[in-house]
Amino acid sequence: MGIQEQYRTDAANLLDSGAVKLVIGYGEGSTPERRRPIFIRSAEEVGRLVLDANCIANLSAYLVPEGLLSDGKSVAVFLKPDGIRSVNILAAEAQLNPEQVVILGFNIDAGLANPLPGRKANEFAPLLASLKSAGLSTDLQREADRLEQMTAVERFEYWKEQFSKCIKCYACRQVCPMCYCRRCIVDVNQPQWVNTSSHTLGNFEWNIIRAYHLAGRCVACGGCDRACPVNIPLRLLNHRMSKEALDTFDHFAGESADQKPVLATFRQDDPETFIL
Amino acid sequence: MTQDRYNSSSIYNPFPMRVVAKREEAPGVRTLKLEFVNQEDHEFFTSNYRTGMFGLYGIFGEGESTFCVASPETRKDYIECTFRQSGRVTTTLAGVDPGDIVTFRGPYGNRFPIEKFEGKNLLFIAGGIALPPTRSVIWSCLDQRDKFRDVTIVYGARTVADLVYKHELDEWKRRDDVKLVLTVDPGGETPDWQDHVGFVPSVLEQVAPSPDNTIAVLCGPPIMIKFTLNALGKLGFSEADVYTTLENRMKCGVGKCGRCNVGSVYICKEGPVFTAAEVQAMPQHDL
Amino acid sequence: MTRILLHSRVDDCLSAWRSAGFRVLAPSKRNDLTRFDEVHAASDMALDLVLPERTIKDHFFPQTEPLLNYRIKKQAIESDEMLPPQQKRIFFGVRPCDASGLEIDDALFGWDYKDRYWFSRRENSVIITIACTRADDFCMCTSVQLSPDSTKGSDVMLHPLKDGRGWRVVTLTDRGKELAETIASMLQEDASETAPAASVPVKFDLDKVTSWLADPSNFESHLWKEVSQRCIGCGSCTFLCPTCHCFDIQDEGDTYSGIRRKNWDSCSFAMFTMHTSGHNPRNTQSTRWRQRIMHKFNYYQGKFGVNSCSGCGRCTRQCPVDMGITETLQEITNLPR
Repeated sequence: MGIQEQYRTDAANLLDSGAVKLVIGYGEGSTPERRRPIFIRSAEEVGRLVLDANCIANLSAYLVPEGLLSDGKSVAVFLKPDGIRSVNILAAEAQLNPEQVVILGFNIDAGLANPLPGRKANEFAPLLASLKSAGLSTDLQREADRLEQMTAVERFEYWKEQFSKCIKCYACRQVCPMCYCRRCIVDVNQPQWVNTSSHTLGNFEWNIIRAYHLAGRCVACGGCDRACPVNIPLRLLNHRMSKEALDTFDHFAGESADQKPVLATFRQDDPETFIL
Repeated sequence: MTQDRYNSSSIYNPFPMRVVAKREEAPGVRTLKLEFVNQEDHEFFTSNYRTGMFGLYGIFGEGESTFCVASPETRKDYIECTFRQSGRVTTTLAGVDPGDIVTFRGPYGNRFPIEKFEGKNLLFIAGGIALPPTRSVIWSCLDQRDKFRDVTIVYGARTVADLVYKHELDEWKRRDDVKLVLTVDPGGETPDWQDHVGFVPSVLEQVAPSPDNTIAVLCGPPIMIKFTLNALGKLGFSEADVYTTLENRMKCGVGKCGRCNVGSVYICKEGPVFTAAEVQAMPQHDL
Repeated sequence: MTRILLHSRVDDCLSAWRSAGFRVLAPSKRNDLTRFDEVHAASDMALDLVLPERTIKDHFFPQTEPLLNYRIKKQAIESDEMLPPQQKRIFFGVRPCDASGLEIDDALFGWDYKDRYWFSRRENSVIITIACTRADDFCMCTSVQLSPDSTKGSDVMLHPLKDGRGWRVVTLTDRGKELAETIASMLQEDASETAPAASVPVKFDLDKVTSWLADPSNFESHLWKEVSQRCIGCGSCTFLCPTCHCFDIQDEGDTYSGIRRKNWDSCSFAMFTMHTSGHNPRNTQSTRWRQRIMHKFNYYQGKFGVNSCSGCGRCTRQCPVDMGITETLQEITNLPR
């Protein structure tokens, strides 16, 4: 039995037994390649679930808003390792109880979706540890290196060009599992921390604030980068912050649910290289 | 007329207004009295303002906020506005002093058709900070008192302290051509409170005049409107004879910015004044 | 006899127009984004796109635009409107859906109070549209009673020739005729056949949709929640829409001087309708999505006699979660009668 059939059956069993109230998975999209998030509430509907190499979205972003888990019931969700890391961070930041999240884990390898054993986030610890030792994405690093080799002035020009495209649609924020603030700082107007206008300065403010807020929290799922309708390479910004967190604090975001948030934790042996 | 003025200059460019008086109405609630800096702005206002219309009051650097013109159409040498200090703009407006300059855009929207009220009994019902829009109509009628028959005003607030326009309440109370009924919510009364204690809809049921030949003007928070409309229905008022105002978040005031609609109705252009029948015809879950 | 413009003469046209004082904007690709930008040569243009990612709306109703500047002095304030410069512009290679979008929005910006920021740009712009011979999976102009060669909103229509050498030129308005005169010497008489317009399948039944939306009992339909469950509440569908026109007004500056701006805003955002009291008439994503659909296919129709959608399909094309107007209207079409 292929993974899609297997997970449909698992989803049906979870719903039938009452173990979960909802399964968040992928369904057919508006083109043959597209997959879209779907919400399955009864075993009769599991035939709509699709699982293949096109299922790339990090569905953990649907777990927190609208009080989904506030009734104490469990929800099953299709997650790749990046999504499992997101669940760990959300748990570490007290946004959800990981016991309520049943993971239908998979990874994509050589164009195929493969099942990952485990049901609860903590069962994936060995997998996440191995990911940490494998390091950050080398593809991303290659792209990032190109930027690192620029002079500061060139790099600033590069980002200026990129940010000038921003239209402040906030798709990057809305698609991100980490952006769960009830009222985002850009929507606060007493005081007005951030210019709401989408001119270059306002765009810089927004994109850099978001990158800072994601430092040590981004799992490189690529959701913001794909969601950006004006193709700003947000992955590179976030990668830079992840690399900093890893190199400086040995922090691999979402490694476990009891990992301490890196920028909200102080340790005696923290390097203090940033203090001038 | 309104359009002509605005088509020759930006529809977003406000009038400067000088603050000439400031009054503390209730905790967090203030009234500003504003006079026109420019004669042409005053003339424009005078020829366009009718009771019920609203404006956008602002402070450059902070923004604009929408509320009614609280002064009547019979007194157009100034604009009064009453607001609760809650957001960014109202907090700044609350801090201005006589002599300071603020801005005004308007008057916008439709109006109470008070010429249709002539020869009728008038029943004004207001809750809390919604007295100001009602007060604009009240004075517009009282300033030509002989055109109308009996005038009854039912005004309620959460507590005695929350009643606004207290000096005018005293004046209305003293007049023998106005019947004023005041009420505060249970628990909101002071030891020396002489008037009613109870919610507006239930007090209304005790004191309302006959619906025959009577127009009701009702302004208040949504929950009060809802229950008071029920009460008026029980009393036999036709929905066509009950007028109310709606408000929504607005930015432009002139039908462009796209946020104030309830169903297909743009509050800024087709409102803010509606009959109860018109409000009932709107999708209730968009209110 | 008809006149054609050869691809090889486009550079000559650009020179002629520039010497006549026009700025010429065309689809181009810069910094990994396709949009209308100033072009100086045919080689700057990306005319092979089905359509650029950004709409030409950007150049009539920019994402942020100064309305007025203000100075605060002791006991006095001054403000001056900041209307856009009177720059004559040509938009070359517009797609019919984007051109239609401009005409659709004229109604809104012009009813009762006239928005001079919009109209001063409209009046100074000439729209040269190229009929579509290609469409993608998301195009839906034919579903909203437009077509790959509709002339709505255009001053000149170019129909690609079958042999790929250029376009047949059809002038549609006085402004278009005047413009064609400026390049008369670059056009030639030619009876070459034009390529067939793109075939864009009809994706939903607009009549059924609009009558369903007009039925007040459907305002509370369970459909709204079902179709919008996965909506993440970003504003990308509205900001990339050629007809969405909602905006915010914001001040930027200090106590002494600054600028009041008109910024794009979106009905998808929770803050859009939030009262200061905390009450929000549209407090869930499904009510906000309903507003968007109702506004486009019911309210706008009722006020201005036209739907506020020109069928470009960008809402679905770029949606991070593969939603869009097409799917919702298909779902309505598929409801049992």
